[in-house]
Amino acid sequence: MNKPTPVPSPTDWQLVRRLFGLAWRYRLQCLQVISLQLVLLALGIAGLAATGLGIDYVRHVSAGPGPDGVAVVPLPHVAFLPDPPAGWRPMHVLGAIAAGILACAALRAWLNYAYAVAVNLLVQQRLVVDLRGEVYAKLQRLDFRFYDANTTGSIITRVTGDVQNVRMFLDQVLIPSLIMGVSLAIYVVYMASLSPALTIACLATTPLLAIGSVVFSKRIQPRYAANRTLVERVVQHFTESLQGVQVIKAFGREAEDRAAFTARNDEVLEQQRGVFWRVSLFSPAIGLLTRVNLLVLIGFGGWLVIQGKLPLGAGLVVFAGLLEQFSGQVNQVATIVNSVQQSLVASRRVFEILDAPVAVTDKPDAAPRAVVTGSVCFEGVSFGYSGADAPVLHDIHLEIPPGRCVAILGATGAGKSALMSLVPRFFDPHAGRVLIDGVDARDFRVADLRRGIGIVFQESFLFSNTISANLAFGAPDATREQIERAARIAQAHDFITALPQGYDTVLGEGGNTLSGGQRQRLALARALVHEPAILLLDDPTAAIDAQTEHEIFAALENAISGRTTFIVAHRVSTLRRADLIVVLENGRIVQRGTHDQLLHQPGPYRRVAALQLVDARELDESDARPAPRPASPEKEAA
Amino acid sequence: MKPPATPAPAAPDHIIGGLDPRHQLTVLTRRRDDQDDEAPHRPLEWGLVRRLWGYAGVLRTKRNALVALTIVRSIQLPALTWILSAAIAGPVADHDTRLLFWLAAAYAGLALVTEGMFHFRMRYAQELGETVVHRLRVELFANIQRQPMAFFHRTKLGRVLGRVTSDVEALRTAIQDVFFVSIVQFGQMAVAAGLMLWLDPVMFLVVLGLAPVIWKLNLHFRDRISHQARAATESFSRVTATLVESVNGIRVTQGFVREGLNTGFFRSLLADHSRHNTNLARSSAILQPMLELNNQFFIAALLLLGGWRTFEGNMEAADVIKFFFFAGLFFHPLTVIGNQYNQALVAMAGAERVFRLIDLKPEWEDAPDAADLPDPRRGNSAPGVPPVTERASVPLGSPSRAPLSGLRVEFDRVTFSYEPGRPVLRDVSFTAEPGQTVALVGHTGSGKSSIINLATKFYLADAGSGAVRLDGHEIRALSGRSIHRQLGLVTQQNFLFGGTVLENLRFARPEATEDEVRAAARELDCLDVLEALPRGLHTEVGERGGGISLGQRQLVCFTRAFLADPRLVILDEATSAIDALTEARLQTALATLVRGRTSLVVAHRLSTIRRADLILVLDQGAIVERGSHDALLAAAGPYARLHAQFTSGGAPHA
Repeated sequence: MNKPTPVPSPTDWQLVRRLFGLAWRYRLQCLQVISLQLVLLALGIAGLAATGLGIDYVRHVSAGPGPDGVAVVPLPHVAFLPDPPAGWRPMHVLGAIAAGILACAALRAWLNYAYAVAVNLLVQQRLVVDLRGEVYAKLQRLDFRFYDANTTGSIITRVTGDVQNVRMFLDQVLIPSLIMGVSLAIYVVYMASLSPALTIACLATTPLLAIGSVVFSKRIQPRYAANRTLVERVVQHFTESLQGVQVIKAFGREAEDRAAFTARNDEVLEQQRGVFWRVSLFSPAIGLLTRVNLLVLIGFGGWLVIQGKLPLGAGLVVFAGLLEQFSGQVNQVATIVNSVQQSLVASRRVFEILDAPVAVTDKPDAAPRAVVTGSVCFEGVSFGYSGADAPVLHDIHLEIPPGRCVAILGATGAGKSALMSLVPRFFDPHAGRVLIDGVDARDFRVADLRRGIGIVFQESFLFSNTISANLAFGAPDATREQIERAARIAQAHDFITALPQGYDTVLGEGGNTLSGGQRQRLALARALVHEPAILLLDDPTAAIDAQTEHEIFAALENAISGRTTFIVAHRVSTLRRADLIVVLENGRIVQRGTHDQLLHQPGPYRRVAALQLVDARELDESDARPAPRPASPEKEAA
Repeated sequence: MKPPATPAPAAPDHIIGGLDPRHQLTVLTRRRDDQDDEAPHRPLEWGLVRRLWGYAGVLRTKRNALVALTIVRSIQLPALTWILSAAIAGPVADHDTRLLFWLAAAYAGLALVTEGMFHFRMRYAQELGETVVHRLRVELFANIQRQPMAFFHRTKLGRVLGRVTSDVEALRTAIQDVFFVSIVQFGQMAVAAGLMLWLDPVMFLVVLGLAPVIWKLNLHFRDRISHQARAATESFSRVTATLVESVNGIRVTQGFVREGLNTGFFRSLLADHSRHNTNLARSSAILQPMLELNNQFFIAALLLLGGWRTFEGNMEAADVIKFFFFAGLFFHPLTVIGNQYNQALVAMAGAERVFRLIDLKPEWEDAPDAADLPDPRRGNSAPGVPPVTERASVPLGSPSRAPLSGLRVEFDRVTFSYEPGRPVLRDVSFTAEPGQTVALVGHTGSGKSSIINLATKFYLADAGSGAVRLDGHEIRALSGRSIHRQLGLVTQQNFLFGGTVLENLRFARPEATEDEVRAAARELDCLDVLEALPRGLHTEVGERGGGISLGQRQLVCFTRAFLADPRLVILDEATSAIDALTEARLQTALATLVRGRTSLVVAHRLSTIRRADLILVLDQGAIVERGSHDALLAAAGPYARLHAQFTSGGAPHA
C-alpha cells in the first residue's frame, strides 16, 4: 500500500539466505554456543547413567549372591568404566558413584551458566545491538517520504520488535535446529544401545508428536493473530475514547460509546472461546501421548527387565530419563517452525529499511565548500516525489539575491514545501538546477550545504533535552556565547533566563511546557546558532494564535536581516514584509511581486488579502466583505 | 553511557561540547524520572483476593467445578507417579509379569481419566480468566467515562491505558493460573510428603531439610531478577523514547546534519540496555542451574544414605527407587509455587490500581434531582416527562422541522478556579441571547476556554461563586446529558475518531441515513469538498487524520456539529492559518452553522470576530471590554489594540 521504495519484494528463500549470511558474521560465537550445548548433553547423559548404575549397585549388593553363588541382581556392564578396585567396600563404590553424579551436576551447572551468558552475549549484546544500530543509522538518512508513508508506530516496531524477531532466526531457529539434530541422534543411538526393541516401541509416538504440534501450531497461530488484532482494537477504542472524551460528552454519546466498547470486548471473548477449546484439546492430547510413552516403558520395558534383557537401573531408569529429554527436544519442533515464520516476516521489514536507497548523496569528487553569500536561483526546476506521480513543481524560475526575503503563498499541495525542500537537498530536482552561491546544489556535500542553511519547520519539534542542547542541535560545539547570541536575536533570551534553570531547563516531551510562541522562538534560535547564510521558514506562525503572533514578528525581523530567506506563510501580516511574494498554484508560479503590487491586481493574492484584511484601509469597500465562494477559483487564478 | 539525570552545573564561560565527549549537547534526549512511580508488587491482601474471587463469580458453576477439578488433579498426578514407581520397584524388580500387567492397565486407565479432566480444567480456567478480564475492562471503561472533564485533563493517557492492559492482564493470570496452579502444586506436595513419610520417615526428613534451601534460593533470585528486569525495562524505555523522538524529529535531524551524532548516542543507549539485559540474563542463568544442581545433590545424597540404610537392612531397595520419583514430585512444586507467588504479588499491585479506578467517585455528578433542560422544539418541558433519550430525528432541512431556537446562556458573577486559590475567571457576567454569536477574545490563559467549560457543564463552579443559567435554569439543577443533547461542539483539535468520514459525521446522530448526512453537508455548502476526498465520505480518517487536510477536517467537524442540530454551538477555532480557498469555505459553513442558534466562539480569526453580535475581551480571567466590533474599535481600548496587531501583524506601537 505505502511502499516507500520500488525495490522488488524478496522471496522467502532470498531472505533465508540473507539471514544465513547474517548468522555467518557471528559464526565463532555460534560455534561456541553449540559446542557448549553438546558438552552439556554429554554430561547430562553421564549423570543419568551414573544414577542408573547407582540403583543397580544398591540392588546388586542388597540382594547378595543367590544360592548358586551368582548375583541375583547382576551388575550391568558399563562401557569405559573399570570394575571397582578389589579392596573397596560397597559404601566406597556408592560414594564414588555419588561423587560422579555430583561432579557431573556441578560441571553442568557451571556450563549451563556459561551457555546462557554466551547466548545472551551473542544475541543481545552483539547481534541485536549491531542490527538496531544499523537500522537506526539508516533511518536517520532516509528521506521524508518514508516517514510520511509509515506511521511512527510502524517505524519504531521495526527497530524494536522486528529486530528481536530477526535475531530469533539465530537463537531460536538455527542454533536449536543444529543442537536438536545432533542431540536427537545421540539419544537415539544411546537408547538403541540399551535396547533397540524398546527404542522403537517408545519412539513410535514421536512422529505423531512432531506432526501433531506442527499442525496444531499452524492452526492456532492465525487465531492468536486474530486475537491480537481484536485486542488491539479494544485498546485503540479505549485510547480514542479518552482522547476524544470531550467530543463524546459534548454530543452526549456516552451510552453508545460504552456499548461499542463492550461489543469490541465481546468479540474478543467470543473469539477466545474457540481458541480455548482447541488449546484445551491439544495440551491434554500431547500429555496423553507422553503418558503412552511411559506406559510402553513400564509395560514393555518392565517385561524386558523381567526377561533379564535389560538392567533395571542402568537400563530402564536411564531409558526413562532419556525419553523425557527426547520428548522435550521434539516438542521444540513447533516452536522452531513458528520462529522461522516470524523471523521471515520481520526480516522482510528490517531489510526493507536497510536496502532502501538514499536518494540524495554526495558526489564522489565533491570538494568541501561552504555556503558564503547565500544567493539562491531556481533554473527551470521541475520536481515530483516519485516518477509515477504527477510532478509537484513545474519549470520554476526564481532568483533571490543574497540577503533578500521571498515569501511563498499557496494552497495545501501547491508545492510550497517541495520548493523549499530542494534548497537543502532534502530532494534533488528532476529537471533544471538549483544554484546556491551560483553553484549547482548537487556539487555541494550535503553536510556542507545544510550547515549553511537554517530551517524552521512548521511544527517546531523540540527534543526532551535542555534548552541549550536544543539550541545547539545543529552545532554541538557551539559556545554558550554563541547560543545566547542566537537566543537574543530570536528574542528568546529573556524568557529563557526567566525560567528557574535558564538554559539548563529540560523541556518536557515535545517541549510542551512552553507556549507556542516560545517554542517557535526556540526553533528560530536553533536555526541561527550556526549563523546560516540562508534561512528557510515553513509557516513559522502556524501553531501560534493570532493574538500572540506579534510576539515573534520582531524575532523574525531580526533573524531575517542579512540572510537570504524563504518564508511560507498564509497570513498577509507576514507576507507583506517580504521583498518578493510568490504565489504557487499546482506547482507553478502564478503571481509574483511585492505586497503593494499584488494587492492592486486581481488574483489569488488579492482574494486572500480581502479575507484577512476585512477592513484594512488599502482595500476598496466593495472588497471588504468575504466574498462568496467563486464559481471556479482555478480559472480566476490563472 | 547513561544520560545524566540532572543538568551539569554550568560555569558561565564554560566551553560547551568538543572537549568532553560525554557532554550534554551530544545527547539527543533526556528522560526525567517522573515516568513511572507505580509499585510493581504488593503484599497479599485478603480483601483484594476476596473481591477478585467474587469477580470470578460470573461463572460460578465453572469456578466451583474448577476448584474440584484441581483438587482431584493434585491427587491424580502423584497417584500416576506412584503407580509408575511401584511398577518399577515392585513387579519389575520382582519379575512378576501378572502384577506388572495390572499396574500398567491401572496406569493407562488413570492417565486417560486424568488427561480427560485436564481438558476441562484448562478450558474453564481460561474462560474464567477471559470473562473476568472482559468484566474488568467494561467496568473500568464505564467508570472512567463517568468522570468529569477535570479527570481527563489531569490524568495521563498512558497511566489509564496501563490499567486496561498490563494490570488487567496480571489479574487474568492471578485468576486463571496462580490460584488453581497453586492448589495443584500444594496438593501434589502434600500427597508426595505423605507417601514419603509413610515409606521412610528418616529419609523424608532429609528431603524436608533441602526444601527451605530451594525455597530461599528461589526467592532470593526471583527478587534479584525482578529488580534487574525493571532496570532493563527502564533502559529499554529510554531506547524507545529516543527512537520516538528521532522519528518525530527526523526533519530537524536532517536539516541540522545531526545523523551521525544521533546514531552514536543511540548506540550508547543500546549498549546501556544490553548491559542491563546481560545482568538479568546472568541472574536467570544462575538460578536455573542452581535448582538443577540442588536436585542432583539430592539424588547423590539419596543414593548414599539410601544405599547405606539398605546395606544395613533398615530400608528396602524398592523404597529407594520410589524415593527417587517422589522427591521430584515434592521439589518441583517449590519452584512453580515460587513463581506463582511472585505473580500473585504483581497481580495484587495491579488489582489495587484497577479497583481503585473502578471505585473512583467522580468529584461531582449531576444532582439526583437534576431536571432535563427543556427543548422547546419538542415541548417536553412538563415535569414527569421521561428523560431525553434521543434527539429529534426530523430530517435536517425538511420543511417540517421545528423553527430553530437558540439557547439563552447567562453568566452571573461567575468566579472559577481549577486549583484552589488561583482563579481563572473573576466575576464574569454576560448574557448570550437566543440566536446570538458571542466571540471570546484574549491572550492564551485569559479564561476563554474556562467560560466554555462552564457553559457546557464540563466543569462546575463551586457553589456560591456565581451562577450559570441556560434558558433561565440554574445549570446545577440540569442534567449534563440533556445539555449536551442540545449542544454542537467543534474543538480546536478537530478530533476525529478512527473510521470513515461518514462514521464520524454520524457520531452526532447515529440514526441519520447517508442521504441525510449528505443533505446536511450540502446545506453547509461543503459536500463537494468531502466528496473530493480519495474515497469520498468513506475515506478512512485516523488518529492523525492521514490523507485529510486541516481545513477538510474542520469542515467535517462543522458538519458533525450541524448534524446534531444543536441550540448552542461551541466553537474553539483552530489557531493554524488555513489556505485561502478552504478558509472561505469555512466561513460560509460557519455562517450557516450558527444561523438561528446561540454560539460561543473562542475566536482567532478576524472575520469570525467581526460577525459576532457580542465580543467579550478577556484579560486574566476578567472581562475588560464588551460590545460590537464597531463600538469597540471606536472605543480605542484593548480590543482596538488587539485589532491593530491582527491587521498589521506588527507591534501595535510601531
